[in-house]
Amino acid sequence: MNETKTIMVVDDDPAILDAVCIMLEFEGYRVYCTPNGAEVLSMQGHLPDLLLLDIWMSGLDGRDICKQLKQNVSTRKLPVVLISASRDIEGSALAAGADDFLAKPFEIDDLLSKIEKNLAA
Amino acid sequence: MAKTIPESGYKAIFNNISAAILLIDTDAPYYTILDVNEAYLKATNSNRETLVGKSVFGAFPANPSDEEAKNIEMTIFSFEQAITNKTPHTMSDYRYDIPVRGTDQFEERYWTTTNTPVLDAYGKVAYFIHSPANVTELIKLREKEIASVEALKNHRQHLYSTFMQAPVGIAIFRGADYVVDLINPSLCTIYSKTPEEMMGRSVFDVLPHTKGQGFDKLLHQVRLTGMPFKGQGYPASLMRNGELQTVYFDFVYEPFREVDGTISGVIAVATEVTEQITAKQLIEDAEERTRLAVDAVGLGTYDLNLETGEMITTKIFANIFGFDEPVPRADYVSVFHADDRGLRDLAHKEAAVSGKLFYEARVIWPDRSIHWARVEGKTYYDANKKPVRILGTLLDITEQKQAKEDQQKLMALLADSEQLLRNITTAAPTGLWMSDETGDITYVNQTWMDWTGLGYEENLARGWTNAIVPEDRRKVRDKFLSDLTGRTLYEAEFRINHVDGSMHWCVATGSPQYRNDGTFTGYIGACVDITEQKNLQQQKDDFIGIASHELKTPVTSIKAYTQVLERMLLKKGEAREAGMINKMDGQLNRLTSLIGDLLDVTKINSGKLQFNDRDFDFNDLVKELIEDLQRTTDKHVLVENLVPTGIVHGDKERIGQVITNLITNAIKYSPQADKIIIHTSVKNNEVSLCVQDFGIGIAPDKLEKVFEQFYRVSGDMQHTFPGLGLGLYISSEIIKREGGRIWVSSKHGEGSTFCFALPLKK
Repeated sequence: MNETKTIMVVDDDPAILDAVCIMLEFEGYRVYCTPNGAEVLSMQGHLPDLLLLDIWMSGLDGRDICKQLKQNVSTRKLPVVLISASRDIEGSALAAGADDFLAKPFEIDDLLSKIEKNLAA
Repeated sequence: MAKTIPESGYKAIFNNISAAILLIDTDAPYYTILDVNEAYLKATNSNRETLVGKSVFGAFPANPSDEEAKNIEMTIFSFEQAITNKTPHTMSDYRYDIPVRGTDQFEERYWTTTNTPVLDAYGKVAYFIHSPANVTELIKLREKEIASVEALKNHRQHLYSTFMQAPVGIAIFRGADYVVDLINPSLCTIYSKTPEEMMGRSVFDVLPHTKGQGFDKLLHQVRLTGMPFKGQGYPASLMRNGELQTVYFDFVYEPFREVDGTISGVIAVATEVTEQITAKQLIEDAEERTRLAVDAVGLGTYDLNLETGEMITTKIFANIFGFDEPVPRADYVSVFHADDRGLRDLAHKEAAVSGKLFYEARVIWPDRSIHWARVEGKTYYDANKKPVRILGTLLDITEQKQAKEDQQKLMALLADSEQLLRNITTAAPTGLWMSDETGDITYVNQTWMDWTGLGYEENLARGWTNAIVPEDRRKVRDKFLSDLTGRTLYEAEFRINHVDGSMHWCVATGSPQYRNDGTFTGYIGACVDITEQKNLQQQKDDFIGIASHELKTPVTSIKAYTQVLERMLLKKGEAREAGMINKMDGQLNRLTSLIGDLLDVTKINSGKLQFNDRDFDFNDLVKELIEDLQRTTDKHVLVENLVPTGIVHGDKERIGQVITNLITNAIKYSPQADKIIIHTSVKNNEVSLCVQDFGIGIAPDKLEKVFEQFYRVSGDMQHTFPGLGLGLYISSEIIKREGGRIWVSSKHGEGSTFCFALPLKK
């Protein structure tokens, strides 16, 4: 890892957001954490290297955000990993253009391997 | 010495003799009267003076009855004969009427006159004696005799002709051999013989077959006793057209008596009555048949004389009234049920007018039992239109009456139960329906019509499907037709457009119906509004979904913290603390698994379990899972016994969930054992996996139940094995949804083997 990667984590649950951010920082990533999904769409300038996005957020659906990102030329190449407590929506997550999917609760190893895999891609 | 008569004495004799004498000269053609005696004068009503010396033909004018004067010619001829032949000549029986004195009338007289010549000494005829005798009486007598003989002859002729032409057979049989003395054609016809064949021969010789039929004895009896015999409708066997036939006779045998009264034979008079007898027999046969028929149907018959009140009844008639044998009318009348007597009287009054008698009444038998009788009859009237007789029949209709009453009761019960049923079907909060064997609806109840707003007619045949929301219509119709074809129980859930404007959920069920002979008649079914349940279910599912999600959120953060903490501790070299945190993570996994099960069951029940099917290598998945699971147990060795399996198309996560469930169960339920064997195999384009443990096993009666929801090990060890009892249920649902099979074999106390099979990707 010769360059520190920036990962943006979006989850409306503060505890999960906190725990995941601590974990990723502990693992050596630069982490940008926000409980506000709307922020993703108003990102200016530098984009993160990877977006970790919760699906069920109050008032917003991570799949919709993902779809918009993937339709936008400037954000289209940003790897998106959707996270949901419901494993059943994996299919719809991938259909929304997500690069990967992770079901809650997850093993930290699974999270890290998915991040690594998608950063490398 | 004899006295001599003096010469003058002869004159006296001449005059006193009773014979009339005229002495006539031979002086033809005068023939002068020489003398006349008293007798002549008397016989001819004349006197001497007008005769003597006159010509005989002058003295007696021509006979007034003899217009042709034949008597004169005859007299002259007789005179000439007597003179010429010198011998007496007699004229016999001629008529010469004489005048009645004092009148111009004549009296009819017949005469026989002899002219006797008297010769002189020279042998010449001197004169002749003309002596007429009055034979009128004699002639009259003779005429009478002739007339009576003629009459007798005619009479006899007439009798004979009658006899011969008589339409009855008549014969006279003579002697002990009954020789045919006389026979008329009618009897010959009866015997089929000609008169020539019969006459002069014994009747039994000509008709040998009649011997021994009793006729010979009868003939003997009549001939010997003189008593006539009358036979009526007597059968006899006679040859007819070459064969022996039975014919019938009315006949009379009369003794034939000779003039002296002795019986010399038998007169037979016979008429054939075969046709009458046959006709009578036919009528009797018909009557007998009618009687038998009447008896056979148990009809009693009666003949009521309205003038005398006398009634003739049959035995069956009596039996219907409860008597063994016919009894007088009053006895019959006495057993009528008191309540029915008025009705009977009325019927008789009507019968007198209408000519028809009909009524049904109860009669009470000696044993007090009540029987129903139907009386029918026809009235007969005399010339004055007065009813004199009723003929009719009687029938015991107790059973019919009973059956009718039973039927009426049954009908009433049926009507009641039909009403009840109608009320129930109308009141039931359930739609009810019936279909025929082609699946066309033939009935829906009011409830269904109330829900759908469709009228009765609109629902018939396939009309009812219009109540179903368009999206569900095809599915429901296909399901119904497929169940109809298989004649299986029908069950379908669908939504209908309710009259309240909203959509309602219904579950319809139907059972195939069969007649007694096994023919399929269609379905009878019900339809329940499950909207409320659906809503509740939805709420429950939503709640559990939300609850699971909400539970997962803190678990996710705790797990994340736990894992970070473990890593931090490990980094610090605090292995013991890290180990504890690792165990904490294990417990979090269990918690996650329980929450997952709850969520899965909810999804299965609501049909919302999602599958993300794709291709994967089955053995790879198995190895991966065994590796992970081996880490969770120190006690058991997970033994791999795998064969190459190839690619399966399915939800890898879900199928993995099943394998994990089976292996964790095997670990859980074999605490005393140290190994678990996992087999894979391929057969018939199926891949199967079996997990064999050597644990407590499952009792045979529980084997079927292990895949049911909420099944848990029961009995002594109930509390020693934790769990919600959902794992195998979820596993079996997953396998079924993936098109596979799941099963178990077990021996109590020796362990179990759980297997499933999935189709291989072709």
